[in-house]
Amino acid sequence: MTISVLEAGLQTTVQAGARTGLRHLGVPASGAADTLSLALANRLVGNDLLAPALEATLVGPTLRFTAPCAVALTGGSAKAMLNGEDVVFHQTVFANPDDELTIGSVEVGMRVYIAFGGGLQASEMLGSSSTYMPAAFGGHEGRALIKGDILKMAGDGRNSETLETPEEFRPPVSSRWAVRACRSVETHLVSDSHRTVLFDTNWTIGRRADRMGMQLDGTTIGVSSAGRMPSSPVFPGTIQCPEDGAPFILSVDSGTTGGYPRIAQIARADRHLLGQMRPGDHVRFLPRQPQEAVDELHAKHDYWRQWLPGIEQAI
Amino acid sequence: MPSDDSAKIVEACGDDLISIEVAGPAEAQALAAALRESDPWREVVAGIASVVVQFDVATIDIDDARRRVEDLLAKGILPLELSDVLLEIPVVYGGEFGTDFDEVCEQTGLTADELIALHTGKEYQVDLVGFTPGFAYVGGLDDKLNIARRDSPRQRVEAGSVGIADGRTGLYALPGPGGWPLIGRTNFRLFDPDADDPFPIRAGMRIQFVSVSKVESGL
Repeated sequence: MTISVLEAGLQTTVQAGARTGLRHLGVPASGAADTLSLALANRLVGNDLLAPALEATLVGPTLRFTAPCAVALTGGSAKAMLNGEDVVFHQTVFANPDDELTIGSVEVGMRVYIAFGGGLQASEMLGSSSTYMPAAFGGHEGRALIKGDILKMAGDGRNSETLETPEEFRPPVSSRWAVRACRSVETHLVSDSHRTVLFDTNWTIGRRADRMGMQLDGTTIGVSSAGRMPSSPVFPGTIQCPEDGAPFILSVDSGTTGGYPRIAQIARADRHLLGQMRPGDHVRFLPRQPQEAVDELHAKHDYWRQWLPGIEQAI
Repeated sequence: MPSDDSAKIVEACGDDLISIEVAGPAEAQALAAALRESDPWREVVAGIASVVVQFDVATIDIDDARRRVEDLLAKGILPLELSDVLLEIPVVYGGEFGTDFDEVCEQTGLTADELIALHTGKEYQVDLVGFTPGFAYVGGLDDKLNIARRDSPRQRVEAGSVGIADGRTGLYALPGPGGWPLIGRTNFRLFDPDADDPFPIRAGMRIQFVSVSKVESGL
């Protein structure tokens, strides 16, 4: 029960749930950048929502199956073919031995998720089987896939059901985003005349956009960090702004401490959206009080629970 | 160290994070240790002068989380005992590994021997492990060595690199970008995912740097 990697794509990694509880030793979250899409893909092949699957970035892989296998694709939109025939996203498809699945360039969004019935075998490290490339652990040998890799299946790949994500549970993928954000610890260091700039600006995702974080282009935000700031805890979704005024958002692989003012924190409910933002996309931030953001998270959980029981593990 | 009466809760830190400001690294580590024992926090992360807890808002509401932190602070935080672990960290100073060594000498007005003598001449304490797995912030650098970070970070710094900046020594556990002026490199494995304990360096441990030659280090 294996899958051969014929083409690796631009950056394809095995991702599952986040690593938690070890940030105080410098261990980042890792895990799928878009956990909602990971959960949706796993749902279609009968897996736990956070079972190890493939996360493909901008250009997808070509895979060959050695045994019957249920497969599902979610996330950013891309052309996908199984033996030369179009594969539709958001439904269970069945691959036979020697079938080839090709996923092309991601046209809208940043990442495609590929789940397999029974999940992938992945090396578990520090509580998660997600790949963390900077320290080369988890997933498949701690790195992005390369041509010639052989992935092992965790189960027998079969899945009796053919499922389709109901229309109302297919998250729209766009090049324009709105994410909710709260104040953070150093919001008060933003200069008075720049108080509302973060929320008034239609930001562009910069060219430096990866699993560590994303640069925001558009304008600059004046901050006075009064010289050197002591290194402080940061998290996925933290927006930091250095003295040069160019803010950046931290994502799933970001370090656990940082030395720049933390000017905002993206609400938990919307952190999964970061995984689909690509360079050139536009993003606006919507101000929220913490309690408002929590209420909205509960509402979001209630909605998604109808299709994804256990959604609160994922978002 | 007296218990920290200056601890202050910051409310506005996102919808699932609470930040507590404290006086310094020792207070931050003591508070973090107490928090870790007391409640089911998702993360308890110390900084140099603060602790941030992350909690699961699906199961604990913000007010409840805040009360738990306040109750703990009200009870008072006992200072941590000085760690009895003294780690000797061998360092090859200067040369190909200490790319900024000469510049640091120039900036500080010290000779190479003086710089090494100063850096190896006292015992330090690990203020914080963070940033990446095993990266150690070692506090207590002599004032004469208090220099700023590089204006622009290097794209790649090798694992084991030893840098100094802002009154601390930074030990790079992994290769990656880095902005600390580098004075040497150690062969001490700061993070080893295959070891029984992947994290040989922990906050609070005492550190003694020892100057070794490249040959002795095996680097």
